[in-house]
Amino acid sequence: MDGVLYALKYYFFYPSFFGVIIFPGLIFTSIILLLTIWFERKVAAIVQMRVGPLYVSKRTGGALQLVADAIRLVFSEIIIPAGVNPTLFAMAPAIVMIFTFLPMALIPFSAIPQSGSVLSPYFHIFYDYNIGKGLLVGYFVPYNMILILGLSAIVPISILLQAWATNNRFALVGAVREALLSVSYDVLLVMSLAAIAIEYHTLDIAKVTESGIPGIIANPLAAIVFFVGMIMATGRFPFEIVEAESEVVVGPSTEYSGFLFVLAMAGSYIATFALSFVFSDVFLGGWLPFNGLPGALWNSIKAIIVLWFTVFLRSVYGRYRIDQALRGSWKYILPVAFASLVLGFVVGWLWIR
Amino acid sequence: MDQVKEYKKEGNPFRLFADHLNAIGTGIKYFVRPQRITLRYPEQALSLPTGYRGMIRLYKDVCIGCTLCALICPADAMKMVTEGGKKFPSINYGRCVFCGFCVDVCPVDALKETRVHDAAFTNRRDLVFRPDRFSQDFDQPIPYQGVVKKVKAVIDEKKGIIYVPDE
Repeated sequence: MDGVLYALKYYFFYPSFFGVIIFPGLIFTSIILLLTIWFERKVAAIVQMRVGPLYVSKRTGGALQLVADAIRLVFSEIIIPAGVNPTLFAMAPAIVMIFTFLPMALIPFSAIPQSGSVLSPYFHIFYDYNIGKGLLVGYFVPYNMILILGLSAIVPISILLQAWATNNRFALVGAVREALLSVSYDVLLVMSLAAIAIEYHTLDIAKVTESGIPGIIANPLAAIVFFVGMIMATGRFPFEIVEAESEVVVGPSTEYSGFLFVLAMAGSYIATFALSFVFSDVFLGGWLPFNGLPGALWNSIKAIIVLWFTVFLRSVYGRYRIDQALRGSWKYILPVAFASLVLGFVVGWLWIR
Repeated sequence: MDQVKEYKKEGNPFRLFADHLNAIGTGIKYFVRPQRITLRYPEQALSLPTGYRGMIRLYKDVCIGCTLCALICPADAMKMVTEGGKKFPSINYGRCVFCGFCVDVCPVDALKETRVHDAAFTNRRDLVFRPDRFSQDFDQPIPYQGVVKKVKAVIDEKKGIIYVPDE
């Protein structure tokens, strides 16, 4: 009996399962997703002198509104338009969701000490020789920075596929916008992380975190560039150009209804959350000074703060036109990215060994 | 001639960055100190001024059946009906635009504008008020939970609009 319990506990806390599926993976992310959409509506309402969702459970300020919305969306009918390929139509939002979520399997959430933590039995399996500790990560790769960037760079392609599969003119306009934008934000994300990689002499996010110097102190320019690239990549304001509601309905997910719409819309929030984890790990010190499960919790709190700050921007900014966004990213942010590279060279040579 | 007015573009990128920080700071200021100007309607209701053009009611014993109200009605909402050999107006709230012409034109003040405006009907037949129903007082709306608080809007220098209890 004890053996069975031990085995259950062993497989429950196995980082590839626990970190990816339970905390801070899929289940935790879904809860955070609902809370984030509630927070987004509420904060926009407060800044605009309104009340926001209130009447579904008044005591909690309408927090159950999102549960009600989710139930309504999940149980509403999925309409497949005539003249589309039904397989591709149903598959496209799932592909978007998969590729926005896949980076979560590679992002280190916390370090595992050799003893004393509930995760310590996995110290040797998830051993990171760069930092001499184990990692709470779905699948450990020493070059996870490159792999995360590569996986998140597939998302625009799947959005294009989704728009093409729905055979809708608004979706196509949104997809063209996504294609134009993706060229500029990918450059920003890659260059800011390249600056960090040069500065810390590593491509392992865990080593950047464990060095003890948060990236926002060592290279604030890279932090700004990464943040702008992040909100541009995931369609948060002021770069909500792909899904501009007043112009192209909801962009690539115009034709979707019911649960497929949930998948299509959740994709951008999950991508923001995944990139928030990268931001928290690289620039905000990640799980330090804790490790093990409290470290993962602390890391998640930081990531949630970053995520909620990005959705807070909806209440501050209007929407840029596509040419304004492109000009901003190529004319103003790209020189900052080059400056962050130079800063990374200098600081990495002088300070961080 | 009709040239588009060109605004001088701010060339200094540091100034632009400071402007962004300023905008975010303003948003945060509004977020930490909420100034809501929403009227929570079912619990609170604005006390309406006298002369408010709400639902119209008929005083049947005053009415002389002159048909002026039906004549002047721009939306054809007022129709005269005969009851017991005497003509009375009936009103169709599906057509009424609440212009108040009928009240103004009435020579004996048999029509009055009430201060009730939040009425709801479950079918279209209920929208037509025959003279006997037309000459009754409107029910006040049923409170949603507890009592409806009557409030009035006051301009406040700091918060914009605030609602203070009336009476």
